[in-house]
Amino acid sequence: MSGSSIGISAQSEGHYVDLRRIGLLESLRKEDQTWAKLAPRWCVTSPDPPWQVCLDATCDALSAGGTLDSLERRHAEDELETVYSEIPNPERQLLALAHIMVSRGLLSEEDLARQIRAVRARLEAGQEEDG
Amino acid sequence: MATTQNHGHDHSGDGGHEHPAAPMVDEISDFEVLELAVRELAIEKGLFTAEDHRAFSEWNDARSPAAGSRMVAKAWTDPAYKARVFSDPLAASKEVGVDWSEPSGFGTTSDYMHMTVLEDTPKLHHVIVCTLCSCYPRPILGHSPYWYRAPNYRRRIVRWPREVLAEFGLIVPPEVELRVEDSNAKSRFMVLPMRPEGTEGWTEDQLAEIVTRDTMIGIAMPKPGRTSDGPRPIHKASRPVHSGGRPREATP
Repeated sequence: MSGSSIGISAQSEGHYVDLRRIGLLESLRKEDQTWAKLAPRWCVTSPDPPWQVCLDATCDALSAGGTLDSLERRHAEDELETVYSEIPNPERQLLALAHIMVSRGLLSEEDLARQIRAVRARLEAGQEEDG
Repeated sequence: MATTQNHGHDHSGDGGHEHPAAPMVDEISDFEVLELAVRELAIEKGLFTAEDHRAFSEWNDARSPAAGSRMVAKAWTDPAYKARVFSDPLAASKEVGVDWSEPSGFGTTSDYMHMTVLEDTPKLHHVIVCTLCSCYPRPILGHSPYWYRAPNYRRRIVRWPREVLAEFGLIVPPEVELRVEDSNAKSRFMVLPMRPEGTEGWTEDQLAEIVTRDTMIGIAMPKPGRTSDGPRPIHKASRPVHSGGRPREATP
């Protein structure tokens, strides 16, 4: 996390994670985009978003490799509950993972922003022809 | 959605498909994008490989309630093991092949290493729920069923447990106390149902077959002959509806 990021506001130090807000993640915390809102809009009854299994595997792989052990991540998640309180799980779990990784320097906010743009462009490619 | 591309098979009308596709979310959410971006960056930075990720996904998907069934069957036949099921459920899990610390050394993504086994008696029946979300003893029971995660069950089982159990076909007599145990992120529960009559002399394997997932959640009771892969009960309709019109008997 770059200390000079304009997205980082009030200082608040947790025991397991830096609780300062991260600008990029703040821009993504939209309740309207959560599965709980999205699924009913499309008449989908599955209670979990399809990406949840991938998130679980990411957490497991990070822990198994010694990068971020599960117990520490869960403690950090608990601390971040207040930061992302209005977002339900598993979206909150995903935001917390991204927050922990950025705050621990495993990913930079800039890299994540770039990758988000790249992924979005890739997923949206072809939508116009299909839509 | 208007399809302008031809992928080599017919998507128009029902041609090629005998049933309509299930509804799906045809919208790319910020969270879907974020999950992929985090994962890809982690791979790019060498924190793990795409193959590692695939292996963990597959391991997660492969879990089943078989170990829980084995645990109950063993507890029914071995009093010393049964005592360990209550005093140290994680060690008892290990004896039936489930190590709660897998795959990370501290358990799965969301499962803390803590479980309590609830013993049913002739006067007490347990049922488990997670009113807040969908916490479930996944290492020992595998993935939770769809209805367990649905608000309908989570909201109502704590308010009207007998009525909800009756909807599953389980009538708990009024003289039997009913206890609903609410799970949370750090505490998982599993029901140890009563061994049914008619199973005297059965082997552990035979017993394990009738300890289905639902009996360990508490919405069903084990019964000889009732297994998860047994034949589905079929009750012939007494007044069958014939296609194309009203039942013949009802026609004036």
